[in-house]
Amino acid sequence: MATLSSVNLVTPRPVVVANLPKFAKGGPVAVPILNRPWKRVYRLGSRGLRGTGPVRAAPDGISEKVEKSIKEAQEACSDDPASGECVAAWDEVEELSAAASHARDKKKDDDPLENYCKENPETDECRTYDN
Amino acid sequence: MAVSTVCTTQSLNSTCSISTPEKTHLGFHQNQVVFYRRTSKRGGGSCVITCSVGDSQTVVIGLAADSGCGKSTFMRRLTSVFGGAAEPPKGGNPDSNTLISDMTTVICLDDYHSLDRTGRKEKGVTALDPRANDFDLMYEQVKALKSGIAVDKPIYNHVTGLLDPPELIKPPKILVIEGLHPMFDERVRDLLDFSIYLDISNEVKFAWKIQRDMAERGHSLESIKASIESRKPDFDAYIDPQKQYADAVIEVLPTELIPDDNEGKVLRVRLIMKEGVRHFSPVYLFDEGSTISWIPCGRKLTCSYPGIKFHYGPDTYFGKEVSILEMDGQFDRLDELIYVESHLSKLSTKFYGEVTQQMLKHADFPGSNNGTGLFQTIVGLKIRDLYEQITSSKTAAPLEATKA
Repeated sequence: MATLSSVNLVTPRPVVVANLPKFAKGGPVAVPILNRPWKRVYRLGSRGLRGTGPVRAAPDGISEKVEKSIKEAQEACSDDPASGECVAAWDEVEELSAAASHARDKKKDDDPLENYCKENPETDECRTYDN
Repeated sequence: MAVSTVCTTQSLNSTCSISTPEKTHLGFHQNQVVFYRRTSKRGGGSCVITCSVGDSQTVVIGLAADSGCGKSTFMRRLTSVFGGAAEPPKGGNPDSNTLISDMTTVICLDDYHSLDRTGRKEKGVTALDPRANDFDLMYEQVKALKSGIAVDKPIYNHVTGLLDPPELIKPPKILVIEGLHPMFDERVRDLLDFSIYLDISNEVKFAWKIQRDMAERGHSLESIKASIESRKPDFDAYIDPQKQYADAVIEVLPTELIPDDNEGKVLRVRLIMKEGVRHFSPVYLFDEGSTISWIPCGRKLTCSYPGIKFHYGPDTYFGKEVSILEMDGQFDRLDELIYVESHLSKLSTKFYGEVTQQMLKHADFPGSNNGTGLFQTIVGLKIRDLYEQITSSKTAAPLEATKA
């Protein structure tokens, strides 16, 4: 484990810039977490080991629900776009889209070591040193 | 920081009772109850019980915005100003919408839906409609939390669309209620110590929803547009009118710096602050009450295209006196941010550069390089200032009572 993560240390910057999902809202991708470089290094290690790119779609259950709800809404609105059913159907689409987006964000931040350390900060893997 | 009020009760007989910390209707908060007993000199045999109520000064903040408008980001910034990250309650329902940190608890008002997804479909109403929400329960529970009583709040599961069994919410120091209708019901509105409304214009809303939803299969430009259009009548009728009651409105509009811009990346954000709100002093630029137009980019500061433009001035909003601070453009560098911060006044920061530090801490949040992040951070600091003023004024009053 230790040697693998140290191998990844060799090329920190280009890897970080390449793998970070670009936030379409136009924010600068710069400004890394300066005060905790060890945390950034860990993240590189986990990405290198797992080799996962940025996650795009929400977990399958929700994605399917979104798809289904869109189809239902389009059907409900084909007769009368101003009816209560049509409006309620599109509201459901909006709600599910919001849930899918939250699930996507949660999945992006899901790091097994971080989750473990939140519950058990005193274990050896989770000890931190502030010099 | 235990703030306590001391109350005394005297019984006519010589019975003395000692109150113990419990989650009862007496409203004691666990771990914070201190009690002591002393006998009174008056009336032979009567006993004086003193109790302290730890959290009778819960500050309640209301945040209103449509879905997909940045409420979650705002919540994360706000809880970060107070320190610590807010997380869902441990060991509870994983689909809970509540966030808890040391100082704050954030409650999502969707939990007060009276109709679940199937119920709304049958009746043909949206979640925006007041008929789908139980305002009586909302009022009772917010009132209880404000007075320091724990409540069992229902959970609305956004994934399944059903109402799950309730979870226990303990009264926090700061309670934030966020959702579609925090200021809709008059009784709830009176309980709020401060209220915020996020007003996103239609073009920006459309651009944000496209960014959010295009990654999902099944969604297309037409479906996103249809979804926004069909919700618009209910939104205009029930949600939008709440902005006249808000103490602060963050209005997000397309930029004026780039002609014919339709990408929606550069934003013009206006912070509309109501005058005369207790414990809230609006931020100003250079000279309070005058109208200022300011372009910081010039000799001392170089900005890249399209630059930054500020405007500040008094105005009226729905018939009330307000001050408006406006920012158009975006920050590219740290020194632009600190330069702007050093020229703003009444920010309620505790040290020079606090706003910049908070913005940098969350540089990955959406809006960190433009007015949305800046004004959300500033409102967060204002809320902290409001909280400190309220708690210090409440400790002053009971101390005088005990001297009597």
